[in-house]
Amino acid sequence: MMENAWIIPLFPLISFLLLLLLGKRLKESSAYIGIAFTLFSLIFSLLVLGDRFTSPTYKTGAEWLKIGDVRIRAGFEVNQLNALMLVIVSLVSFLVHMYSKGYMQGEKRFSVFYAYLGLFTFAMLGLVISPNLLQLYVFWELVGLGSFLLIGFYFYKEEAKQAAKKAFIMTRIGDVGLFIGMILLFWETGSFEYDAIFKAAHEGNLSEGMITLTAILIFIGAMGKSGQFPLHTWLPDAMEGPTPVSALIHAATMVAAGVYLVASMFPLFSESSTAMLIVAATGAFTAIFAASIGLVQTDIKRVLAYSTVSQLGYMMLALGTAGYVAGVFHLMTHAFFKALLFLAAGSVIHAVHTQNIEEMGGLWKKLRITGPLFLIGTLAISGVPLFSGFFSKDEILVSAWNHGNYFLFLLALIAAFFTAFYMFRLFFLVFAGVPKKEAGNVHESPASMTIPMLVLGVLAIVSGYVNTPWFGTFLGDWLTKGNTYLEHGHGDSPVWIMLAATIVSLAGIILAYLIYSKRTISRDWLGGQGSMLHNILFNKYYADEFYNLSIVRLTGILGVFFSYIDRFIVEGLVSLVTGTVQKLGKMGSRMQTGQVQQYGTIAFFGLAVLLILFALTGGIFE
Amino acid sequence: MSLSGEMIAFIMLSLVAIIGGILLINLTKVVHMVIALVFTFVSVAGLYVLLSAEFLAAVQILIYSGAITIIMLFGIMLTRHNDSNEKTAGLWRKLMLFAGIAGFGLAVYAGIYNLDIPVQETKLHEDNTRQIGMALYSDHIIPFELTSVLLLAALIGAIILAKKDDEEKEGEE
Amino acid sequence: MNSVPLSAYLVLALILFCIGLYGALTKRNAVIVLISIELMLNAVNINLVAFSKLGTAPSISGQIFTLFTITVAAVEAAVGLAILMSLYNRRKTVNVDEMDQLKH
Repeated sequence: MMENAWIIPLFPLISFLLLLLLGKRLKESSAYIGIAFTLFSLIFSLLVLGDRFTSPTYKTGAEWLKIGDVRIRAGFEVNQLNALMLVIVSLVSFLVHMYSKGYMQGEKRFSVFYAYLGLFTFAMLGLVISPNLLQLYVFWELVGLGSFLLIGFYFYKEEAKQAAKKAFIMTRIGDVGLFIGMILLFWETGSFEYDAIFKAAHEGNLSEGMITLTAILIFIGAMGKSGQFPLHTWLPDAMEGPTPVSALIHAATMVAAGVYLVASMFPLFSESSTAMLIVAATGAFTAIFAASIGLVQTDIKRVLAYSTVSQLGYMMLALGTAGYVAGVFHLMTHAFFKALLFLAAGSVIHAVHTQNIEEMGGLWKKLRITGPLFLIGTLAISGVPLFSGFFSKDEILVSAWNHGNYFLFLLALIAAFFTAFYMFRLFFLVFAGVPKKEAGNVHESPASMTIPMLVLGVLAIVSGYVNTPWFGTFLGDWLTKGNTYLEHGHGDSPVWIMLAATIVSLAGIILAYLIYSKRTISRDWLGGQGSMLHNILFNKYYADEFYNLSIVRLTGILGVFFSYIDRFIVEGLVSLVTGTVQKLGKMGSRMQTGQVQQYGTIAFFGLAVLLILFALTGGIFE
Repeated sequence: MSLSGEMIAFIMLSLVAIIGGILLINLTKVVHMVIALVFTFVSVAGLYVLLSAEFLAAVQILIYSGAITIIMLFGIMLTRHNDSNEKTAGLWRKLMLFAGIAGFGLAVYAGIYNLDIPVQETKLHEDNTRQIGMALYSDHIIPFELTSVLLLAALIGAIILAKKDDEEKEGEE
Repeated sequence: MNSVPLSAYLVLALILFCIGLYGALTKRNAVIVLISIELMLNAVNINLVAFSKLGTAPSISGQIFTLFTITVAAVEAAVGLAILMSLYNRRKTVNVDEMDQLKH
């Protein structure tokens, strides 16, 4: 089965092409095409994953380009990480395809939406089976394109347009880093293949500084895609896209691509402690930074977006503290519960037609399916015991502790507290209390939307049990099996960490309950609305404003400067050239007077000059 | 170098020819110019005599001084020539032309100044006309006949050029 | 017996040729231009006749050649004048600098 893994990305591509061609005619039924083809992808992915349990890594490829001695190969690879990612991506994509059928009902460009989804899914699946950096980079950019198209799906909305542009530009900044790192690695090792690079790094063929440099450059690419500080600002804005898109791209798959990249380049990173420290520090800082912003946001999707940024920071922290398994594990569980949360949020928005949580409330009784599912997601992300997030987060904390960096561990613990707090703030504001709006038209979403949520809800609970300290670290063993560069940290996991994590998350929940549900503690307990702290957090630490004032303004000034250079110097040169040519032409045409005698004069003058030259050089008469 | 009679004749004839040419350039009235040129043509005929070409001298006087000059005079008469104070071309062109001609003249002069070809005895002066007739009708018979064709063509061409225009003009009017 | 050297004739021909050329390229009246061209032809004729007597291989051919040149000059004068007349009939001018229709 694994030798046919290349077919998995092709299904969404076919769907994309079909919908492009027939979309106008199919209208709403184009959903079935998208759903069917992603279902094929899902089935194949599951088969591949099943195969991967018993057989070794499969890798194949053919020569793509040959320039002199340089050979660039193209192909695909199915290792543990790839197989797992295939299943995650195709599963979430399939569920989102289903969900969108209900959510996007009545949308004019329905088939276009499905076509874009197909394109994105194709790119994402292609990304995760790439065996080399160059191929990965191609799909990396395609993923960016798909994200751009989907964020800007409501392109008639100014915010959506701006958000799409911003997402594209911000991720491109990261991509430049990735590109430079990739080229440097190629320069040093002569190959884009992961294996060759890891081998070179492991055997010491690369200098220490070069490993650190390339690792950091690649990490910059991952920062852009995964919304790590300071390139995080695009991700909350990307919520202007349709909610299923947010679930698919900006929660489960594309933003996880950065984490995936670091994970698949992990052997390179693990050779450089500096790069690892940077990854860990960035991750930890992003985790607490985004979590603190999430505390005060009022837009349901933005809260989830900041939560995503924060969780991605967690994953980076895990990878940076050598917790390869922890990072990938959290990537998987997060994909499920965050997709669930987004879809549930979409269901809420679908029901009440607003995204402002201050205007919601008391929806628990109205949305009998969405409510409990949202609760499951919230519990999972908060790290409440027995839910999936608990296990993966625990793994990360253990990894950070074992790595010996207690400051980062502390940051992670505080971020966990924040996470539990703001998630339950969200939950209580939306579902508890009394309805704030006339709720007559609030109704549960159709089955096509609730079924995917149910599936994800189940996964959000059970997916944690593949790797627990109690029932065996099955996932970790499998992920590291047969991989010479990875070792599963079988360090002892102190029980007190698990206890601490539980206490912290429960504390967050209780605090949120007291403030937002019971209201025994004033909401303005720690600085009310309008206070400085609130303002700073609400305005996201003024990151956007800072960028506007510094980078954007600077670039603008540079742009004006260069436009003047262009206008006066470059254009002056150009008009000098054209002017000269024109003058010459005018002179030439003025000589064409039609006066025979003038022609004769000129011709004779030329003859005379020739004759004199001849006479002077002794050409004739001698 | 003593001035032989031939030399004196040559100098006088040359002077007349050059003066005729200069008058052609400098006179203002068109008719005067043509008359001035007659002097040149006649003195060139005299030079032909000096060069033992009596027949050519006769032809020169008949055709140039006679026919061509008369044709030109007719041409002048038939066209409007009242703009006697002839405006000449622009200064730039004149300067350029003058420079060109001066350079040309100097270059050629440098070439011919010291041309020295030993003089050989010739019998061109004995029965010159007879010699020409012999040569024309023996060695150069084909060009000679072709010349007659050329003359005929010119005759017809000139008539048609002048006549066709008249008809067209009548048609127009 | 020949006291007049060949170069004297050649210089005279050169002077006449230059005068003719100057006239042909500066005069506005087309008739004068034609006459100037005749003067240039005359200068050439002097050369031919001079070489026929004083050249390296004296022969009657130079004179025959001159005869042909005179014939062609006469033809040229006749046809040129005919063209001039027809042009004058159309344009009512014989000024060379107004004859530039081919440019347009």
